[in-house]
Amino acid sequence: MEINLKVKPGNQIQAFYLFFIITSLQIGVGIIGAPRFIYMEAGRDSWLSILISLVYICILVMCMFYILNQYENTDYFGIQVDIFGKWLGKLLGTIIILHFGFSFFSILLTYIEVIQLFIYHALPNLLIAILIMILVLYTVFGGIRVIVGITFLLFLSTFWLLLVLYDPILRVNWLNLLPIFQTSFTDLLKGSRATSYTLTGFEILMVIYPFIQNKEKAKLPVFLGLIYTTIMLLIVTIISIGYFSPEGLKSIDWALLILYKSASFTFIERLDYIVVTVWLMVILPNLALSLWVMSYGMKRLYKVPQKITLWIITILILIIVNFFQYDYQISDMTNFVGKYGFWITYVYPFILLPIVLVKKRRKKDKGSDTT
Amino acid sequence: MWGKKSKKNKESKGTAIFPIKIDTLEQILSDKFEKNPDLKFSHYKIFDTNVAVFFIDYQIDVDKFQNSLLDPLVNFEINQEKLTNQNLLNELPLNSGSVYEDLESILSNLIIGEVFIYIEGEKKALGYQLPMKESRSLEKAETESLVLGPKISFTESLSKNLNIIRWIIKSTDLVMEEFKIGKVSPKDVRLVYMKSIANEVDVQTMRQRLKEVDTDQVEDAIILKQYLEDSQTNFFPQFDITERPDRFTYNVLQGKLGVLVENSPAGFTAPATLFSFLESTEDLYMRWQGGTFYRLLRFFAMFFSIIIAPTYVAALSYQYAIIPTQLLITIGQSRAAVPFPPIFEVLLLEFMLELLREAGARLPTKVGQTMGIVGGIVIGQAAVEAGLTSNILIILVAMSALASFVTPSYLFGTSIRLVRFPLIILAGFFGLIGIVFGITLLIIHVTRLTSLGRPYLVPLYPLRLKDFNKVFFRTPFSHNNKRARSYRPKILKRYSEKDASKIRDIDE
Repeated sequence: MEINLKVKPGNQIQAFYLFFIITSLQIGVGIIGAPRFIYMEAGRDSWLSILISLVYICILVMCMFYILNQYENTDYFGIQVDIFGKWLGKLLGTIIILHFGFSFFSILLTYIEVIQLFIYHALPNLLIAILIMILVLYTVFGGIRVIVGITFLLFLSTFWLLLVLYDPILRVNWLNLLPIFQTSFTDLLKGSRATSYTLTGFEILMVIYPFIQNKEKAKLPVFLGLIYTTIMLLIVTIISIGYFSPEGLKSIDWALLILYKSASFTFIERLDYIVVTVWLMVILPNLALSLWVMSYGMKRLYKVPQKITLWIITILILIIVNFFQYDYQISDMTNFVGKYGFWITYVYPFILLPIVLVKKRRKKDKGSDTT
Repeated sequence: MWGKKSKKNKESKGTAIFPIKIDTLEQILSDKFEKNPDLKFSHYKIFDTNVAVFFIDYQIDVDKFQNSLLDPLVNFEINQEKLTNQNLLNELPLNSGSVYEDLESILSNLIIGEVFIYIEGEKKALGYQLPMKESRSLEKAETESLVLGPKISFTESLSKNLNIIRWIIKSTDLVMEEFKIGKVSPKDVRLVYMKSIANEVDVQTMRQRLKEVDTDQVEDAIILKQYLEDSQTNFFPQFDITERPDRFTYNVLQGKLGVLVENSPAGFTAPATLFSFLESTEDLYMRWQGGTFYRLLRFFAMFFSIIIAPTYVAALSYQYAIIPTQLLITIGQSRAAVPFPPIFEVLLLEFMLELLREAGARLPTKVGQTMGIVGGIVIGQAAVEAGLTSNILIILVAMSALASFVTPSYLFGTSIRLVRFPLIILAGFFGLIGIVFGITLLIIHVTRLTSLGRPYLVPLYPLRLKDFNKVFFRTPFSHNNKRARSYRPKILKRYSEKDASKIRDIDE
């Protein structure tokens, strides 16, 4: 396996699109239900927890960039094989692929559940999954540039969803947010931990980095993307706390969607229906990028053609999706992904960094010996 | 469709039949033109030399033939010279003479209006081009009519079209490369571009594609366009076809490539983007505020036309909660008499409207007007009174039809109208989620498209903010001094920005 990659100019993407890639992967279905989970841990000071997460993630991403800059042009898969050798490296690479697979699956299931609860109570899982998979496959078959294009275009075409939140903002009772600074530090950290499922996604940087054309400009869009997502989460959480009152929020599963219920215009009522359906456009880039990482990773590690991986994964998903019928199964699944993903996304890079540095040092020494 | 032409285009040395007796020549020709009474073969005796003149009479300009060829030939003796090919070439007041040795080239040139002279005993035959080609005179543009700007449109004659273009772009940079396409009946095809502006890679790609077209014949520019497009299976036109010389030359001057085909009253330009089909040259003729407004209006109309009928179906079949109560009551009242489900109602009405449109396009203009009136009354009144559709739907369908007709490109308008039907059906099955599914599929489809290898959605994706003022809106010309970066022209600048936007003091 080649550790450093050579990407054709036709497949390269501008660094500026990293903003959209990062935000699209972070904002999936997590943000719909996140306010409740964060509030359960951190109470009125949830906003503080979110800011702590932002700081932590920024440090993490800096560390990721540091690792990536040690190499010429490579990704997670290459780095792991380089450091841990062929077998362990490929095993770890497989775990990364599985991580993206599980998050893909949890997003798909959660969205199916949302559609069933809000709009079509009797529409079978399989049918919705087929519809979504048609879109995802059609995107991924177009290659990385089409995927990034879709990410960008759908970001633009769903941006208006944010503006509709003006209505709940007008109805917020700001007193619900007071008093501040009441939560203990451990609870704040627990609150930060509760944001982890929502904010995962930036680890795609470690996979997509070789495809970036102008790498020297890559840092700014990534950090802007992180900040943008965090601000989104912050706004949604604060509005939810203010709008639903502390007691109410505890019993509301999908706060964001319910917030949209209050807005209405003279030509349209019940905006939540539209938001739930348009949310398909929000999760599509997320799904497409995850699926691409899976297929691309399989090609990197085991030289399986991407098309074969895509078809196999699609068939697997269409089979497994039928077994998830109840709410608790899906939330179990999501919790599992959140826990297991936490270690991969939030802790693993910090473990990787010293090893990479040691290895690098040793190589340098060797190099100076021989010359 | 995409056969490779065999490279070994052998210089087919046909059967050299000369020298020959004139009677034998006549025999051979009449055998070749069996059951074709149009070949005129006449004998003359000049200076004791037998001379044959043969041609197809309706393919040649008879006056010219009579005055410039036949008269001098018959009166040749005055010069007291020997009658040979060389002497004839010198004497006849025509500039298009050439000599032929083999039978095949004589035959193929006979049918495109050459007159042949054969002097008995010579090793070659003499041919003069005197073609007479019937074509329509120049007329006003009909399918793309505009209020402002030039009114002229292309016609079926290639030479007239080239003439128009040469007069609009009076520059030596303008290149008109010639290609012959079609094996059974080869047609002249011209690749038109500005040497100093057009992107070299694009020119190379187009040249390659034109050379690789392997077909028996191309009927029209629109058909050649379909042979050349990047993907044949998809929904949207990828090259921009137009019958307006001003639109054609504007695109060529912006660095695009144009293609003209013999016998076709339209040319196409490439590469195109989704948005170029919504641009009209009238946007440039208007002041920039008006141009911007109408361009945005077209974008909105396209979106509206696609979305409105499916939304009606989805809202009335499943998500009626999205309609406000007041409106819901009105719709309910108007739909009370209708016995069909919304999807059937919409499909019925759209079908009627498409019938009307198609009938209007096929019928002669005088009858076409009556069609409009009949259609208006039938659809507008009778359908509602008979309880087939609701009033509101008629308004919506009529609006969406109107909106689809504002696109300057007829082909693109057709694509838009066609897209609606799958969306209506999707909305009928899945409601709002079906519409979102359909729209997203459309977005993916369009993102995947390319035109001459360039992305179809440029400048939106890949994003080039500086080109937005050429695509989505218009800025005053003082802020519009560069060509679109999207097509990578060789020269970006059109004029100096400094002079254009110079600010002068009061009373200076």
